[in-house]
Amino acid sequence: MTTISTLMRERVLLLDGGMGTQILANNPTVEDFGGKLADGCVELLNERRPEWIRTIHAAYFDAGADAVETNTFGANEVVLAEFGIAPRTREMNLIAARLAKEVARQYDTPKFVIGSVGPGTKLLSLGQIEVKALYHSYYEQMLGLLEGGSDAILIETCQDLGQMKTSIRAAKAAMEELKIKIPIWAQATVETSGTLLVGTDIASVLTTLERLGIDVLGMNCATGPDEMHAHLAHLAENSPLPISCLPNAGLPANVGGQVVYPLGPDGFADRVLHTANEFGLNIIGGCCGTTPEHIRVLAGRMGALKSRPREVKSERSVSSLYQSVTLLQEPAPLIVGERTNANGSKKFRDMLATEDYDGLVGIAREQQREGAHVLDVCVAYVGRDEVRDMEEFLRRAITQTTLPLMIDSTEVNVLERALQMAPGKCVVNSINFEDGEGKARKILDLCRDYGAAVVALTIDEEGMSKSRERKVAVAQRLHDLVVGEYGFPPSDLIIDPLTFTLGSGDEEFRRSAVETLDAIRDIKAKFPGVLTILGVSNVSFGLNPGTRHVLNALMLYHAVQAGLDLAIFNSSKVIPVAKIPSEERRMVDDLIFDRRSENYDPLKQVLATFTTGRAAMTAKVDTANLSTEARLQADIIDGEKGAILGHVDDALKEFEPLHIINNVLLEAMKIVGERFGAGEMQLPFVLESAEAMKAAIARIEPHLPKDSNTKKGRILLATVKGDVHDIGKNLVDIILTNNGFEVKNLGIKQPIEDILKELESWPADAIGLSGLLVKSTVVMRENLILMKEKGHGIPVILGGAALTRDYVEKDCRAIYGGPLLYAADAFEGLSQIRAISEGRVDELIKASESVPSEASGITILRSGGKAVSLNADGQSSWVRHGVETPAPPFWGVREVNHPLPELFEFLDEFVVLRNRWGFTQGKLSDEAFEATLKDKAEPVLARWKERLINEDILQPKARYGYFPACAHGDELVVYAPDTAASTEPSERTILRRLPFPRQATGRRLSIADFFLPESSGNLDVLALQVVTLGQRAADFAAQLYQADAYGDYFYFHGLTTELTEAYAERLHAQVRRELDVHHRDAENLRQLFSQGYQGSRYSYGYPACPDLEGNGPVLDLLEGQRIGIHMTDSFQMDPEYTTSALIAWHPQARYFSI
Amino acid sequence: MSTATVHFLLEDLLVQAPIGTSLQAIADTSGADITFGCRNGSCGTCRIRVTKGLDNCSEMNTEERDFLKGLEVGSDERLACRVNVMGDIEVDYLGL
Repeated sequence: MTTISTLMRERVLLLDGGMGTQILANNPTVEDFGGKLADGCVELLNERRPEWIRTIHAAYFDAGADAVETNTFGANEVVLAEFGIAPRTREMNLIAARLAKEVARQYDTPKFVIGSVGPGTKLLSLGQIEVKALYHSYYEQMLGLLEGGSDAILIETCQDLGQMKTSIRAAKAAMEELKIKIPIWAQATVETSGTLLVGTDIASVLTTLERLGIDVLGMNCATGPDEMHAHLAHLAENSPLPISCLPNAGLPANVGGQVVYPLGPDGFADRVLHTANEFGLNIIGGCCGTTPEHIRVLAGRMGALKSRPREVKSERSVSSLYQSVTLLQEPAPLIVGERTNANGSKKFRDMLATEDYDGLVGIAREQQREGAHVLDVCVAYVGRDEVRDMEEFLRRAITQTTLPLMIDSTEVNVLERALQMAPGKCVVNSINFEDGEGKARKILDLCRDYGAAVVALTIDEEGMSKSRERKVAVAQRLHDLVVGEYGFPPSDLIIDPLTFTLGSGDEEFRRSAVETLDAIRDIKAKFPGVLTILGVSNVSFGLNPGTRHVLNALMLYHAVQAGLDLAIFNSSKVIPVAKIPSEERRMVDDLIFDRRSENYDPLKQVLATFTTGRAAMTAKVDTANLSTEARLQADIIDGEKGAILGHVDDALKEFEPLHIINNVLLEAMKIVGERFGAGEMQLPFVLESAEAMKAAIARIEPHLPKDSNTKKGRILLATVKGDVHDIGKNLVDIILTNNGFEVKNLGIKQPIEDILKELESWPADAIGLSGLLVKSTVVMRENLILMKEKGHGIPVILGGAALTRDYVEKDCRAIYGGPLLYAADAFEGLSQIRAISEGRVDELIKASESVPSEASGITILRSGGKAVSLNADGQSSWVRHGVETPAPPFWGVREVNHPLPELFEFLDEFVVLRNRWGFTQGKLSDEAFEATLKDKAEPVLARWKERLINEDILQPKARYGYFPACAHGDELVVYAPDTAASTEPSERTILRRLPFPRQATGRRLSIADFFLPESSGNLDVLALQVVTLGQRAADFAAQLYQADAYGDYFYFHGLTTELTEAYAERLHAQVRRELDVHHRDAENLRQLFSQGYQGSRYSYGYPACPDLEGNGPVLDLLEGQRIGIHMTDSFQMDPEYTTSALIAWHPQARYFSI
Repeated sequence: MSTATVHFLLEDLLVQAPIGTSLQAIADTSGADITFGCRNGSCGTCRIRVTKGLDNCSEMNTEERDFLKGLEVGSDERLACRVNVMGDIEVDYLGL
């Protein structure tokens, strides 16, 4: 009988094309689906409108397809649950498969039915669903497809490696249950980014699935055939499995809001056949945008096409969610990071004890940076739940590190859970025969089911093998079981011949290193393809650090010479052998090779030479020896929000709660303030101190006497009317609150009337007004006038970026009746509120009056004689026109969205770290500042970037477009997109007139000058853009602030603000390219960020066009509301992380100030 | 109090100020055609070339040095917002 597998061996198989659009062509109504709840569940049409589905299947068979896919793409429990019919999963798949089989049986030639299994709606690897639930969801689907008579299972359109593994397991289990065996095919969907949705490359897909017992591995969807070539090439060269390829009808394009597929039947057939021949494909067909006509033309052209035989390289790799790593590194060895191990790293163990899982991932990432290729993960710690610790660690590590994992545990249930969670191909560490073969078999069963490689130790019932002969004998037995009986490829068996310390001087182990080295050589020779591994640093256990570095380095060197493939090693401590002085090297080599003689013992020599231990040990202050009070202060200054809690508890046993707050904690915060003021401590560290303070106070509060008042004073804080900027005011709130003041934070956009009303019910010692906008400085002044009119004299503190000390202390102070102060930062505000509450406000006023204003001594000796004149068009004659106007690729507006990684490419990290996050040098030495950047700031940035990429917080969206425009005096006249230069000026459709201010002196510039004047008779091109990171980002920032996560709030806000700029920069670069004015783009990114390109990008609110009202017309022209952008009544854009711009391409267009 | 003069070449503007005054204040007060962005040493909008009297500018700190190093610019360039005037200087604005 011809089965689908036998047919595939004879010739290339042809599958059907797109299903969804064919179904939708019937215009199904709510009635067709069977009610509102089921609306859109196309799988229900198999039973409610079977004639439609039958017709589609028949159309594809008639067109020449050998097989059709069942209409079950979304028929798994997870998806069907959305329609409330999850329990019907098995039955619905049965119905669908039977329906397709009925159609297939009507043909005389063999026609087959492929059970289609889609990716579902939840990504396992990103933690959106638990393995168990996903597994069951697919298990039910597989049962139905099998019972309905499918000829193969096709797990398709896969976006997530974890989902692929899980569904393959479910398929195998269902077959086992029903005793039906049919082929399992799997297809990944590689996006235009070059990876699966979650970031996996095709090499990792192959590495991970190769061992899982599937029958075909291929690709479908996302792109047309041509875009798949690079990935198909990898499969063609490396995959031992037949390859399938079901592309879309070309790369989909968005034309006028409709998805359009560019390849018609002829073009599609042409490209698919070319691809099939090029890469030796075994199965072809179509996905989105393909129709029965596409398949008919393809069938006609392919005839009985035979698959080109391929030569396949055998790869020995493991993989993570993101990448495949070959086990045969050149140069050897592959380095296995040993510090994510509770037995190997004290730091790791301590973090585990405090459940600092993020810290654990930090260690993992550190090793990745230091050059480890694979991470050994061991969370076994007496008294703790190892399964739970493994889950918590992996949940984070899977997405936050890119390295494949070596799961290190003696517990079978821990191994199983880890293998379920880790999406890639892991290594299991380890099996041995200490208690016979029983346990080893259990672990090998798991390795087989999850496609893992395995480390096998040369230990048997007699114990650890020490001699070369015993090591090789146990290796033989391991090989017989793993490669012989279990049928693993030799490269998935990694033998550890064990090594012992040479430091004990114990006669039994004097030759142990030699035995190990010889055993490596024998194993490599005797078992071709089998790999070896060694925990190298065991060789120096018990010796001092200096000796260990040299001994480890040389043992590693000799082991690699002997053929070692993998080394478990701390890669940061590898000393290049060439750097070891020859005398030391000779001595240590003598130790390794046990070259003793009558009066010479290399061990004694080594112990005498290395007594000092040259390895640099960092001196960490030991807080254990400090007094309780000093320890608390150290916690505050160091921002130890975790450790401080225990120390508070200790202090509460010794001291009164009020004493702790007033004399210990607040004093420490005072030191923090002083250090910040002196430029010795930077803002992010200050916020960490504040978080520690907050945690300590919360711990103490329940112990305070009921009537105690710990507050030093009260202040009302608000951002003024018309201003939405929150962060500066919130920083003040944080600093004041955590320095013992009571703060009422009224929020943003506060009219003075509301603030004063609040003051009636909540009498305060002072009011603090904040605002970022230039306009807010005017609003503050108006507020002060109104307050004076109403007879208020309460002290007021003003702060904000656009304010100057002179403006507040000279102009504003003159018009307000009460004390008025300018605070440059939160700490100046703190010292002011402190003075106010202690009745010393007059002193402050006096002190500030005695400081002369900076402008007072400045005299103009000769004013510029080179004023530029305006030409007949009323424009600056400094600007010259005459360069040909570029032609845009389209007129009008388009919507785009760019993935986050593309925005990160344009992120000005310098600004993020030094400006947004306030890592400034201050009084720090160059070395100290550089160390802060490297050890603190940059790791924080790396962590946040990773987090933003992995979590769905930012939703970048943009609209941009090109409009015909020309200058009319100070105005830019913007025309409708269909207005041509040839149109009579009186006939042109004007969309907007954008007025711009003009410099009063100097070059007399206005933005309008950079566009052709109306009198030229020609039209210029104006590009506009608006980018946003979405509402969710603003909500997230607010949540962080609410949760008192001060540091995170500050980091997130600063990074996201700058990322908004990055998006503007990214889109501007695209505009320059599209206008073909990108030839002057600086290659150096730092240069690019300082206008290293032709033309300029102007945003309202900045020096060349300071008036924010201009945002209105720009948003109207771009229809910003379509991506959720609105203007507030103060002309700022909402959501917060949004920015718009006008782009002038003119070569002389640069920033300038009005 | 001893003073220094700043010559802005673009518009031939000559300004006198007490030694130690920030170039930013001098430019703002005299209306010199220099555009400032962040005024914080991290955007580069106010880049200038000091054509005379480079030694009369206050010393660079690491931040400014790092910023200008990243731009790969000549040793006579500064960020106007980071300079205090310690003697006579002549300044050319580079943001054109």
